[in-house]
Amino acid sequence: MIGLGHYLTVAAILFAIGACGIFINRKNVIIILMSIELMLLAVNINLVAFSQFLGDLVGQVFAFMVLTVAAAEAAIGLAILVTFFRNRGDIAVDDANLMKN
Amino acid sequence: MEPFVVLLPLFGALLAMPIGRMVSARAAELTTIAFVLMACLIAWVLFFDVAVGHNARTIQLFTWIGSGNFIADWAVKLDTMSVIMLVVITSVSSLVHIYSVGYMHDDASRPRFFAYLSLFTFAMLTLVTADNFIQLFFGWEGVGLASYLLIGFYHHKKSANDAAIKAFVVNRVGDFGFALGIMAIFFIFGSVGFEEVFQAVRTDAVVTPFNAADGAPISELTVGFLGLELHALTLIGILLFIGAMGKSAQFFLHTWLPDAMEGPTPVSALIHAATMVTAGVFLVCRCSIIYENAPDAATLVTFIGATTAFFAATVGLLQDDIKKVIAYSTCSQLGYMFFAAGVGSYGAAMFHLFTHAFFKALLFLGAGSVIHAVHHEQDMKKMGGVRHILPFTYAMMIIGTIAITGVGFPFLYDIFHFPVGTAGFASKDAIIEAAYAAGTEGRTGAYYAFAMGLIAAVFTSFYSWRLIFLTFHGKSRAPDHVMKHPHFPPNWMLLPLAVLAFGALFAGMLGYKSFVGDKAASFWGNSIYIAGDAHAGGESHAVEAYAAEATPPVEGDHAETPAIASAEDPAGAAHDEAEEHTEGYGEEGEGHHFPLWVLYAPLLAMLIGFGTAFAHYMRGSDPLRPGLLREGGILYSFLKNKWYVDEVYRFLFLNPSRRLGRILWKIGDGRIIDGLGPDGLSGLAGFGSRLIVRLQSGYIYHYAFAMLVGIGVILLIVRLGGAQ
Amino acid sequence: MQLGDNISFAFPEIWLAISAMALLMIGVFIDSKYHRFISFGAIFSIFVALFLVNFGTASENASLFNGAFVTDGFGQFSKSVIYVAAIFAIILSDRFMERERLARFEYPVLILLSVLGMSLMVASTDLISVYMGIELQSLALYILATFNRDSRRSTEAGLKYFVLGALSSGLMLYGMSLIYGFTGATTFEAIAAGADEANRIGLIFGMVFLISGLSFKVSAAPFHMWTPDVYEGSPTPVTAFFAAAPKFAAMAIFARVLVEAFPAATDALSDWQQVIVLVSILSMVVGAFSAIAQKNIKRLMAYSSIGHMGYALMGLAAGTSQGISSVLVYMTIYLIMTIGTFACILMMRRPEGMAENISDLSGLSQTRPGLAIMFSALMFSLAGIPIFLGFFAKLYVFMAAVNAGLFVLVVVGALSSVIATYYYLRVVKIIWMDEPAPEFERDAGPGVKGVAILSTVLIVAGIVVIMPFLNIAAEAAAATLF
Repeated sequence: MIGLGHYLTVAAILFAIGACGIFINRKNVIIILMSIELMLLAVNINLVAFSQFLGDLVGQVFAFMVLTVAAAEAAIGLAILVTFFRNRGDIAVDDANLMKN
Repeated sequence: MEPFVVLLPLFGALLAMPIGRMVSARAAELTTIAFVLMACLIAWVLFFDVAVGHNARTIQLFTWIGSGNFIADWAVKLDTMSVIMLVVITSVSSLVHIYSVGYMHDDASRPRFFAYLSLFTFAMLTLVTADNFIQLFFGWEGVGLASYLLIGFYHHKKSANDAAIKAFVVNRVGDFGFALGIMAIFFIFGSVGFEEVFQAVRTDAVVTPFNAADGAPISELTVGFLGLELHALTLIGILLFIGAMGKSAQFFLHTWLPDAMEGPTPVSALIHAATMVTAGVFLVCRCSIIYENAPDAATLVTFIGATTAFFAATVGLLQDDIKKVIAYSTCSQLGYMFFAAGVGSYGAAMFHLFTHAFFKALLFLGAGSVIHAVHHEQDMKKMGGVRHILPFTYAMMIIGTIAITGVGFPFLYDIFHFPVGTAGFASKDAIIEAAYAAGTEGRTGAYYAFAMGLIAAVFTSFYSWRLIFLTFHGKSRAPDHVMKHPHFPPNWMLLPLAVLAFGALFAGMLGYKSFVGDKAASFWGNSIYIAGDAHAGGESHAVEAYAAEATPPVEGDHAETPAIASAEDPAGAAHDEAEEHTEGYGEEGEGHHFPLWVLYAPLLAMLIGFGTAFAHYMRGSDPLRPGLLREGGILYSFLKNKWYVDEVYRFLFLNPSRRLGRILWKIGDGRIIDGLGPDGLSGLAGFGSRLIVRLQSGYIYHYAFAMLVGIGVILLIVRLGGAQ
Repeated sequence: MQLGDNISFAFPEIWLAISAMALLMIGVFIDSKYHRFISFGAIFSIFVALFLVNFGTASENASLFNGAFVTDGFGQFSKSVIYVAAIFAIILSDRFMERERLARFEYPVLILLSVLGMSLMVASTDLISVYMGIELQSLALYILATFNRDSRRSTEAGLKYFVLGALSSGLMLYGMSLIYGFTGATTFEAIAAGADEANRIGLIFGMVFLISGLSFKVSAAPFHMWTPDVYEGSPTPVTAFFAAAPKFAAMAIFARVLVEAFPAATDALSDWQQVIVLVSILSMVVGAFSAIAQKNIKRLMAYSSIGHMGYALMGLAAGTSQGISSVLVYMTIYLIMTIGTFACILMMRRPEGMAENISDLSGLSQTRPGLAIMFSALMFSLAGIPIFLGFFAKLYVFMAAVNAGLFVLVVVGALSSVIATYYYLRVVKIIWMDEPAPEFERDAGPGVKGVAILSTVLIVAGIVVIMPFLNIAAEAAAATLF
């Protein structure tokens, strides 16, 4: 029987993969955007699983909110990435270190 | 009228710059002088009203902060202590303002200078009229700020900038202690008002610190501080004293004062001799009731004070810069004041503060007059024979010197019933005798202070006369054009010297009875703790006397002492005994209680110092090559380098903190990043150290990683903390 | 309650949303040389919102939308401060944007949208609305950071801010999902009621993630890394805005979440208190040490702001009403100081472009004495030297921490403020004592000059002018949380 714990574990693993994707990847900013989406989806799995477990709809409402915001966030992220690409001609993560101590 | 004594200098400060720009620099000078003189006049009126007329009062101006039980007012507290300080500050400040008209006459930014002087005066007056610790701290930082601005006044000089910053930073160390002290007071007493705190100590009230389950009488209360369980009053006393050490340039935190001599000389006279540096002494005396109930803290004050008196005097022996000699002398005299307070003779400490203001300001202004005359040369090696061109200044400096060295006639005491001699004689002898008396009562450290005080008196006499001999006597060692065309001091500069000289000669004799003599009890009233210096075992008797009589108004002398011990003895008898002591003290004076050698020792010390200086600098073939302290000798280099304190500090504190700053700076330096290889997470080994180096590298993935590590560490700590 | 009744309490936010959209439409259709009209429109609409918050129905206490949104004294105080800060940010941008060829109508509209986000955020009492408010604010800020889209630095700043901001949102959301799962609720009140010993561990995990996300928004260490880079890369007026209003908003919601959802009554206080103490200490230390070697004035301000957030968190760590009121006072005073300092930085312009290095300030006292005095006063105030307003801010939080018995925090705070004094004084020293550098241009415009003078006057005379009533207002505001 698949219980709440399983869902939470999957979500935690997905979240960890997403978080690792942000700092292990250093080739491509697009991958970072994907990692962020992955983290948000992990949260959604959490929310929906809890919602189901608690018999409470608020979690699912929350999940929809997150989905919407994630879409807006992705749009803005891509827009920023485009301006970055126009200036730099490339989207390697390593290139973004003009400013440092 | 009362608030104006504080506010007038502020008005002067605010007006000086606009007037200087719109009318003329002279108008700005005269404006500030007028305001300070008015304040001075009011201060003297208040002095007679409050100290002589026993009309102590507090005027609340408005509330700065009122947050729950944390209330800080802006007040003008007038009691004997504060009016003495008012008189000293406004008088010396007026004289220094006047003097500066002459001294600074060729400086382009005079209005700024006068604005700063007045601003300083305002801050200092705010400090001494405080009725709570917050206002005190406010004034304390205000004078620090004004001092910073004035030391760095010649801002084109690098040494002046460095000195200004050094003064500020060293003072911040002291202020740190002071601030903690105030917080401790608030924590323990739940109030920062003087009246509330001192009353609680005086009556040994039961107080409950915040977050403590139950209270305890203040004399038994302990608090946990940095893992230690400490006696609350001792902790407060020590923390406050750390603040006082910074401001009053006591040993360990004294290094800024000699460097502060980079400022213009009138500033040295006002801030670094007469007023600001005595704020620490003022603080200790203001909190006398706390120190009397915290013997360990008082002992610390005694030791630091006595050590400073000795240390600074030895360093002063070989300084060649005329201002630095006087600076170390100030440091040393402040040491005297502190150990006087430490041995419980707060009256004597305030007395010395009072007389010291006159003769030290005189010496500084005299030195300024010399420096002015020889074209801003400060090296005594390049002076000599100046008495021919500055006879009046010479006379004034001699007066200052006999005052600081303590020339007097102890044998006339029995005839006149007050010490006949210069101001320094009266006050310094009072201190040394108080230390001896406290020693006979078994007060810790008092004999040490007595010995150090005597030795320092020898050195004081030596360096003071050395200054006179090197500067004014002998052949001139200055370049010819300087001696042919000296800048003669204008009358603006001479008048203040004469006024101060009067004070240096007579302040001691005039003030003796009130400050430490038989009128002391009624003079001080409630403002400081007075245990008769000559009381044998004064404390315990006084305590019982207190228990017998709750609040006797005039015999505050011993009645102010808190009840530490319970009165098991018949209280009346104890009271009688205490009274008897007072009578003996009053009628026959303290001379009665001391062996003859104690009375004559300071005078003898003075003569020894004078004789040695005379032999070295007047009789020797070359005044710059004295026999005893030969150049190049170990003792010579030791003293010349001021006991290597600056070097030790540089080694211990400055270098490591610089290095730390540099390391943190290099953290982000691209070269190091590159040097360690660009592979971010390639190896988990050595990962911690590299993490620090990689901080702020500019790479997104490092930042993200740092965040995740941060969250991990926090979770770990919370889990560990939660498990307990 | 009827929907109509509810809506009247949210008038300021609704007004902001409508006017932002209206201005956006107007901006699209009018000629780009009338961009100033949009700026004035934005300032006007924030003024109206300020009025509505303080005098309309929104000034009454109410809880609406099923407990997702409240109007109370705390929100009223926070919104007022945020609105005023936003108005100043628009004023500061005026001349700069023209000269950098950035004058576009989107700028005020974006500020308006982020103000709307902040306004929602500080008034929300439900995790969902907190998230929505924070995201609305952040998304607008990401774009603002990239506003100079032809500059490599600006786009890089935007990219960094975006990626790290999204990561922090992810962390925060994860925390929220855990909190929801373990208490079964998203409103603060229900969370506080649902906490018990059985779910404590899970709740603590959720709380730590939530705190991490919020710490990012206030740029507290160890979540501060984005701050220096983004401050340096963004256009200076945008940096000024970043340093002011969003910091206040984030700190306000930080306080509200912790105090309302994890109140002292449920033992949660001791759990979050230690986290905040840790974050506060780290921020103060990082702020103090890292700033020492900075050469760029905007980076210096970034580290300075990290340090200041550490002090503000000190008040929050106290967790008492006095503590929260000290946070509000601290943040308000910090806002005045930081806006003033950025106004001064905006006056550092030479014919060849903006000067951003600290060394460019050298000898300023001889070339521009007025600016030098303002700059020095602001630095003294940031260092927390008495007489200046910054001292009282510090005094307040220190007293709150002492009252709560957080001595380690107080000692570290006092020490790091001593270290911090060093780098502020270094700026003052460079201004007054070094050889003069070439003079700055004098046409910063009346807006920037006015803001600089106003904030200097406030920090010098503030002890009499604003301290007494700021004190009362903050206490009243903080009291509504308890």
